[in-house]
Amino acid sequence: MNAWLIAATVLLAGLLPCIYVVMRGSRVSALIALELASTLTTLTLLLIAQGLHRDPFADLALVSAVLSFAGSLTFVRFLERWV
Amino acid sequence: MKAVVVDVLLGVGVGSILLSCLGLLASGGPFEQLHFTGPAATIAPVAIAAAVIVDESTPSSMAVKSVITAVILLVTSPVLVHATARAIRVRRHGRFQILRDELARKENP
Repeated sequence: MNAWLIAATVLLAGLLPCIYVVMRGSRVSALIALELASTLTTLTLLLIAQGLHRDPFADLALVSAVLSFAGSLTFVRFLERWV
Repeated sequence: MKAVVVDVLLGVGVGSILLSCLGLLASGGPFEQLHFTGPAATIAPVAIAAAVIVDESTPSSMAVKSVITAVILLVTSPVLVHATARAIRVRRHGRFQILRDELARKENP
């Protein structure tokens, strides 16, 4: 286990506060926690790709960064109008 | 020396994200919580991309992908924060049309 994978494991621990806020907070707070969690997941994927020395895994981080932005914007739009 | 630099950069990146997560948990309202998405989306991607570049030492596809990921996060995060703050404002006080009406009333009482 190298420094990259240790960093990825530590980062995953950061998901716990996000999950807590999603479960216990208001809808708006849950959305903010989701945004933070998506950033965290993207960077974790990047760290795993570097830790395993597998270039194609970095594509997952790239796709996650783009899709999480689109997904969060959709949630924001729903929250603003209908939810 | 290279390993130390990589470890320091990783520590900065991971530390900023963990502090952001704890801040999210500790802060009260959604506007305060929005501020804590900042370090995770600015400091951490830059630090981790820099760590990858230092670790690779020669130009590689991994370094390019990490830089592109960091740039995407840097660009999209402020947009997302702005959109979320706007949504919170609209949920609490209604559309921005109200402000425009108030402005018109002040100009033509």
